[in-house]
Amino acid sequence: MTYALLSTGFLFVAVLLGVLMARRSGQPGVSWPATAVTLVVLVVLTAVFDSIMIGLELFSYAPEHISGLVIGLAPVEDFAYPVAIAVALPALWALLTRRNAVPMGELVRQATAASRPISWINTAFPFAAAMVLTTREVNWVLVVGALYYLIPYNLAMYGINDVFDYESDVNNPRKGSIEGALLPRRFHRPLLWLVLATNLPFLVVLLLAGGPASWVAITVSTFAVVAYSAPGLRLKERPVWDSITSSTHFVSPAVVGFTLAGGTVEPGVVLVLGSFFLWGMAAHAFGAVQDIVPDRQAGIGSIATALGARGTVRLSLALWALAGLLVLAAPWPAPLAAVVPVPYLINCASSLRVTDTTAASTNRAWRRFIYLNYFAGFLVTLIMIDFWIRMS
Amino acid sequence: MTGLGYLVCLVLGIGCMLLIDWRFRLFFWRAPGAAALVTAAGVTFLLLWDAAGIAAGVFLRGTADIASGIVLAPELPLEEPLFLVFLVLCTMVIHTGTVRLLSTRRRRSQP
Repeated sequence: MTYALLSTGFLFVAVLLGVLMARRSGQPGVSWPATAVTLVVLVVLTAVFDSIMIGLELFSYAPEHISGLVIGLAPVEDFAYPVAIAVALPALWALLTRRNAVPMGELVRQATAASRPISWINTAFPFAAAMVLTTREVNWVLVVGALYYLIPYNLAMYGINDVFDYESDVNNPRKGSIEGALLPRRFHRPLLWLVLATNLPFLVVLLLAGGPASWVAITVSTFAVVAYSAPGLRLKERPVWDSITSSTHFVSPAVVGFTLAGGTVEPGVVLVLGSFFLWGMAAHAFGAVQDIVPDRQAGIGSIATALGARGTVRLSLALWALAGLLVLAAPWPAPLAAVVPVPYLINCASSLRVTDTTAASTNRAWRRFIYLNYFAGFLVTLIMIDFWIRMS
Repeated sequence: MTGLGYLVCLVLGIGCMLLIDWRFRLFFWRAPGAAALVTAAGVTFLLLWDAAGIAAGVFLRGTADIASGIVLAPELPLEEPLFLVFLVLCTMVIHTGTVRLLSTRRRRSQP
């Protein structure tokens, strides 16, 4: 009866969403007669073509999990698919094409730009690497999770940020409209809805796929994504918390991957993830130095406005150095990664004489930093491959 | 044995749906952004459903001669996402087409 339960669950969600969307769809709204026609046609097509596909042995069902009731060759549970989409998709279509809706093509473009495609890999890679190095296999949770941390997670992280930075910029005449112009106001609500719609299904699946350890990791990860820029919390404006939250954005996907894989917590894992975390904090802190002057003018706090330019550069150097030392203590081949912070230390050290007034000049080092990340990613990947070969 | 029969059928099916869409300006040719979002949402939802079914051990990949044998994930053949795209397109073409037919009939019956 597993399949019946599964189908009922998904059908329930689809119908519920369909009704909720239809109620919000305004004018011209959902055509229920057309929905009824679609439903009947799809059910008939399913009876015919599902039977043909099953007859051709394109797929089969585990006999112990199905009720055994069939229409043609198709199990009755299969008919939940056409019913679900016949109800939900026209409602979604009506919602998106209602008269006063924002143009969806433009929303998709704005959302894609907001999600920073260049950074997608920065969260998907830690997740996938942590999971695959633990399970040593490609399974469903890995595929779903990697997809989640590739796109929807980044859309949430940067989308929420763009929406709420706009508010703070608009309230602050000195910061002007340069950054505010990023995401026009009429796209704010649709974008937040899109964030919810793209994140929630994945989060539900990942929560169902894991146990208590991954629930904690996913909760912390999701909280960090929201709390970084959402009003009320805005951790990005709280010195030190800003660096901690920013680093959590990139380390937490790895922790989620590790916990979903059911990995056992060993000193080596803690050292490597801890090192990654310090690296992330250093990266955020150093990046904040270049904005000290405009941030202070706008009355916005950051780790750099609190510690000053030179203090923050020193802290970044210390964090990167500590990140290197931590992996030295981890089992082989992790100590090889101790060379990774070296180029960062050299690059950052060029800014040691910076003052608060010349803070903007660190932008040059910051741009070099972005290229160093690719080099670091390359080195880390090589070390991971070495680890993989040693394990097998 | 593997083959491309199923894959070709799906691509042709998708092509036919898009032709109807293009001819009558129903879905992608009416509101491309909204159509892309509906397609993405539909396919993602159905893929998660498939994933849950595979994880629960309900769905098993078949051994048909006309399947390519290429898998994207355990028990998930290359053809499945294409089938789901076809299913979503088919649903929306039937729905938007029916809405069109019903509204033309209503307009004709008015004096």
